[in-house]
Amino acid sequence: MINIKKIPLFYWRRLSQLVGLGLFFFLFVNTDYAGRDELEYAVNILFRVDPLLALCASVAAGFFIILLLPAAGTLLLTIIFGRFFCGWACPLGTLLDGCHQLVPSLGLGRERRYRALKFYLLGFLLIGAWFGLPMAGYFDPFSILVRSLALAVDPALNSLATTFFTFTYQEAPGWVNGLTEPLYDFLKATILPFHQKYYELAILSLAILLLIFFLERLERRFFCRNICPLGGLFAVTAGFSFLRGRTGSKCGKCRNCRDVCRMGAIDEERNISSLDCNLCLDCIHHCPGNKISFKFERLQKKRPVFNLSRRSFVGALALGAALPFFLKSRTMARQADPLLIRPPGALPEDDFVGRCVRCGECMKVCIGNGLQPAFLQAGVEGMFSPVLKARTGYCEYNCTLCGQVCPSGAIKKLTPEEKKKVKIGNACFDKNRCLPHAKGIPCIVCEEHCPTPDKAIKFREAVVENSRGEKVAVKQPYLVDELCVGCGICETRCPLPGASAVIVTSAGESRDPAQALPGQGYA
Amino acid sequence: MDRREFLRQVGLWSAGLSLSVPHFRICEALAMENKSSMLSYATGKDYADLVDRVLSSLGGMGKFVRPGDKVVIKPNIGWDRNPAQAANTHPQVVKTLVERALDAGAREVKVFDRSCNEQRRCYVNSGIQDAVGEIKDKRVKFFHPDDRKYVPVDIERGKAVRRLEIYRDALEADSYINVPVAKHHSLSRLTMGIKNSMGVLGGSRGAMHHDLGQKLADLATVVQPKLTVIDATRILLANGPQGGDLNDVKVLDTIVASADPVAADAYTTTLFGLKPEEIQSTVAAHAMGLGEMDLAKIRVVKA
Repeated sequence: MINIKKIPLFYWRRLSQLVGLGLFFFLFVNTDYAGRDELEYAVNILFRVDPLLALCASVAAGFFIILLLPAAGTLLLTIIFGRFFCGWACPLGTLLDGCHQLVPSLGLGRERRYRALKFYLLGFLLIGAWFGLPMAGYFDPFSILVRSLALAVDPALNSLATTFFTFTYQEAPGWVNGLTEPLYDFLKATILPFHQKYYELAILSLAILLLIFFLERLERRFFCRNICPLGGLFAVTAGFSFLRGRTGSKCGKCRNCRDVCRMGAIDEERNISSLDCNLCLDCIHHCPGNKISFKFERLQKKRPVFNLSRRSFVGALALGAALPFFLKSRTMARQADPLLIRPPGALPEDDFVGRCVRCGECMKVCIGNGLQPAFLQAGVEGMFSPVLKARTGYCEYNCTLCGQVCPSGAIKKLTPEEKKKVKIGNACFDKNRCLPHAKGIPCIVCEEHCPTPDKAIKFREAVVENSRGEKVAVKQPYLVDELCVGCGICETRCPLPGASAVIVTSAGESRDPAQALPGQGYA
Repeated sequence: MDRREFLRQVGLWSAGLSLSVPHFRICEALAMENKSSMLSYATGKDYADLVDRVLSSLGGMGKFVRPGDKVVIKPNIGWDRNPAQAANTHPQVVKTLVERALDAGAREVKVFDRSCNEQRRCYVNSGIQDAVGEIKDKRVKFFHPDDRKYVPVDIERGKAVRRLEIYRDALEADSYINVPVAKHHSLSRLTMGIKNSMGVLGGSRGAMHHDLGQKLADLATVVQPKLTVIDATRILLANGPQGGDLNDVKVLDTIVASADPVAADAYTTTLFGLKPEEIQSTVAAHAMGLGEMDLAKIRVVKA
């Protein structure tokens, strides 16, 4: 029998980390269609317990977003336990800990120069969210992690598996296939995505994540200590926390605790700073004198030191408040990019970008591979927000998944009936390229795929002269604006090589009355 | 080249051992066998019973599936639509056919389609996934097509296409049973059996639309069903091939079956009040000797 009390405390922490990571990957893999219109799991829960995103999205929205209420629970627990989340639950933190052996750090980890960065960043992001520069998702650890997994790692993994198993299928002898084919089936049924997907900014998203791992070279948990604005928010809260680590005041000279501390939370006098300590509990195990303990205390003897430069902090706030006004000098303040097609249920543009936390969940779940991360078409503040790129993929008519996974309500959750009434854009034909119009060649693949029960793409019979000078009867497609929902399947399926002859733009989108089409009026 | 040689070539090609693309030229021989085309149809509310009736009047499933056969049953599961919307083959029809093939002693029965909407949604919404899932028999394989298994095939007799990528299982089947739903289609006017074979094509299928009738007939020279069962239990009269509006659906409670794919399409066309000559793929397939389209020469039996 194992005596539970004898299991070192840090084993419990490791167990918690592993369970958390397992749960994270389980929810990630299940961020996909599973045979029902409604998702079975709250796959976005990680983003909904994130108080940084909750604060920033709520500040941008101007009211507290109820969907993000679980984040309040995380903050309450932080008041009790300190930065436990960083040490016990954060999937990015767990991955960084797991890669510690692969990316050994060069520094001793006592560098305190950058510690205040995360507080400046936190202030900047909060002020920016208020004034209209919503960038929390650029730095939030979960957004970075899920985005890069969804946009880069997952498709790459699938491509790797497909390449390998195609090779074995085509080249290997039968007995090998007897082993590899069941394995491939198993992987497809479990971790591999159903579709091979393609994403813009895949490499950039990956590079941001890799950079965080690379920074481990400087010191352990460099990102968590110095940059992570969520960690910053936890640190501010942990300043008032009840559970605190105490070291012996009269211990010897060993400094083991300082050397093992992954957060650099222990100073020369061996005080454990509650701003940095993530309760990994390694120090307890390494203290030869068993002098370290964690206890609940009502009042603190010593206030934690933030080490903030008032000038820099005010500077960060001023920057966050001033920058947004420069955004108004861009052309897009007057005329949005006509190809900026937002998912069905997306709020009006300013609200949408304000509340979008750039988590990538909607792009991961999009079964048509239509949603892509924006680069600069939505401005510097809109990077990684979802845009429909109708040539690569389309919005599936009966699907409502993106609204279900959006953690902040930037994309409203719609019923299938509500969704079918939402117009996200409008198709238009390039008659110079469309085959029945330009060449007298029969086609109307767009009409075949148009999903509205009364088809938005209709056709007229016409006798035209083809390029050989023959008179031929063809069906020429045209669009009925009132029926088109902007799903983009026509553009995706247009069989012309290169650019499509039918292109969807945001004209007429129902979320913006100013975009109304002629005849549509201000309904 | 006979069937066995063809299969050997397909095997070699997909094993990467041969660079030459397999040919297929047994269709003339098959066409010769159909001296007089017989067609059976039945009407009624019990769709499983309809299937049984048309099968027995054609001589029973045993005529098309022999014990130990590898069978492919190819329904239309093209669209993310429910059974009432008449865009996909009725699940009960598919299920009954699978069961009869099993009863006839098939070694395996594969059911699949390459859909146009998202595959999983189509399989679920069509009701076919649930219906086939109810059959608890390991010989039934209901799956999504695997991109690795499309093989390029030279269409020797093709007039409009010379080469197509075709799903390997469809080529290798001992018995290929085509189970389309009959419905409206803007370009081809109707989609029935011959059009349904597009579901075994790989690659970009949009190019088929440029001269669709002839290209479908060309495809029919290599994808030759032993049996065509056309689901006209409810037919879509407009806004096809997807539909979505129940006002466009007409309930006929009818199933048509024939070993002659052209005859099956020709007869079903009349259910829409159209003449067989109005459907280009029927005309083209008939011209290529793939079957009979003259209703006077088809022996129609009400089962």
